[in-house]
Amino acid sequence: MALRLLSRRTLGSRILSYRASLHSHATSFGFQQVKEEEKSKLVGNVFTNVASSYDIMNDVMSAGLHRLWKERLVGKLSPFAGMKHLDVAGGTGDVAFRIFDAVNSVKRRALRKVDEASLEETQIYVCDINPNMLNVGKQRAADRGLRDNKSLVWVEGDAEALSFDDNSMDGYTIAFGIRNVTHIEKALAEAYRVLKRGGRFLCLELSHVDIPVFKELYDLYSFQVIPNLGELIAGDRDSYQYLVESVRRFPPQERFAKMIGDAGFEKVEYENLVGGVVAIHSAIKL
Amino acid sequence: MFRTAARRLLGAGFTTSRLLRLPKPRPTTIIPYSYCTSSTESPIGNQSVNPNQSDTAREEGHRRDESSRKPRAEFEEEQARVLAASLRHVPRLGWTEEAMIAGSRDVGVSPSIVGSFSRKEAALVEYFMDDCLQLLIDRVDSGLDLQNLIPSERVSKLVSIRLEMQIPYMSKWPQALSIQAHPVNVPTSFKQRAMLVDEIWHTVGDGASDLDWYVKRTVLGGVYSTTEIYMLTDDSPEYRDTWAFLDDRVKDAFDLKKSIQEAKYFAQDIGAGVGKSFQGLMNGVMQTMSTRGGRSSAF
Repeated sequence: MALRLLSRRTLGSRILSYRASLHSHATSFGFQQVKEEEKSKLVGNVFTNVASSYDIMNDVMSAGLHRLWKERLVGKLSPFAGMKHLDVAGGTGDVAFRIFDAVNSVKRRALRKVDEASLEETQIYVCDINPNMLNVGKQRAADRGLRDNKSLVWVEGDAEALSFDDNSMDGYTIAFGIRNVTHIEKALAEAYRVLKRGGRFLCLELSHVDIPVFKELYDLYSFQVIPNLGELIAGDRDSYQYLVESVRRFPPQERFAKMIGDAGFEKVEYENLVGGVVAIHSAIKL
Repeated sequence: MFRTAARRLLGAGFTTSRLLRLPKPRPTTIIPYSYCTSSTESPIGNQSVNPNQSDTAREEGHRRDESSRKPRAEFEEEQARVLAASLRHVPRLGWTEEAMIAGSRDVGVSPSIVGSFSRKEAALVEYFMDDCLQLLIDRVDSGLDLQNLIPSERVSKLVSIRLEMQIPYMSKWPQALSIQAHPVNVPTSFKQRAMLVDEIWHTVGDGASDLDWYVKRTVLGGVYSTTEIYMLTDDSPEYRDTWAFLDDRVKDAFDLKKSIQEAKYFAQDIGAGVGKSFQGLMNGVMQTMSTRGGRSSAF
């Protein structure tokens, strides 16, 4: 696997030789610099490897907290019946299932007057670049009895070049996916393009912690514990090393908010959860 | 309170239309993008935002650079438009998200925007309260005749004008009241009612700024609230019973004021009387003591 070639021990010399051959089109793959064309391949490899144990690893790494974070994300979205929603990089379907449940829950239907016809119109598109992740998601849908449900649509696609029409989506979410994208600005531009007027953009992502003591603890946990867990549970240390490095390379909250604003969005806000370990950025297209 | 303060600062040419967009209380976990320094609702889309905005500027009517006003105004305008359109659906759907979704469809915006309003149904109710206050101010400014009325009648008239604005929504008004009573929403609803009461007293012609100011507003707040609740169950033609109730309460309030005044004077008189007799007693005692002392010192 390409990752093994770029092992950290020989990083110094590799980086020097890479720098010679790199021009302005370099990007980061964790703490390593790689050519852009390679990044998506490398990321693809990472997720192909982790797909089957993705959900378990999420639970172990975040001690189950990732479920709460996703609940919060969906709560902020406030899904409504009849909405067209796009969940990007949502391979295994966590967010999509939550949105589906939120719209179709019996309790919600009892409390509010919901038009049954509009319930039929609800469409939740799950887009992921990696077919393995999508397959895991489809399997989970089948397990829940939603295999043939028209509301959930599984689409293979690239966040930087979506196959959806302009102004077609009421909501766009991307949970723990945007740091894996090679050109974040392109993904944001695509998000802006597919959203309708008044549509919301929501991004849940691991972000930067500034709180003094907590930061050190978090770094310790990230670099010492997580790769070992990856090795133990998923049998893949390198992928999880990539994971924690890519989190550090991702822009901090303020800068990412600025990037969202530059893409054309209005009312850009972010909310830190667990002191900044995770941040939910939200914005509206007007 | 804002209106009277602003009047004093800026003179009669001041327009109140922008004042009533109350700053929404800032939730503790949400950290706005730093370019919007004064509220969570400033959108970012314009590179030339002025970073030196201060909070006091907000109260004076948002007089800012054009460049920084445009992006912020757009989202707030859109929000106001959606809320205004939603009001039409309230009698049928109640003060709920459904009404807001229907309203957003009317305006031609995706209903997702409703998800971005803080405290959704409360936003609708608060918008309505602001709107009614603005309508009241406009009515007063456009020449409502209050000259021939005594103060208690002026108060009655203003309160009735304001309550009449709620008549179209009367079937769903209890829901609005319960929304306003939620602990999360209480600060804003309290503030709005305080502004309303202040506005009414200001129009009636009260310029007091001592302890009396608080007493007056509290009493009027009480009168307004009780009348509002009475109105919920009133089905007399044209709410005649409510207006009669209102007149009685206002009269009681003014009588209360007079009674308090009288009680104060009464207490002062008694105090004076007791004080005089006490003083006389003390003088007598002192005299006897001094004469006795004088006599005894002769020994």
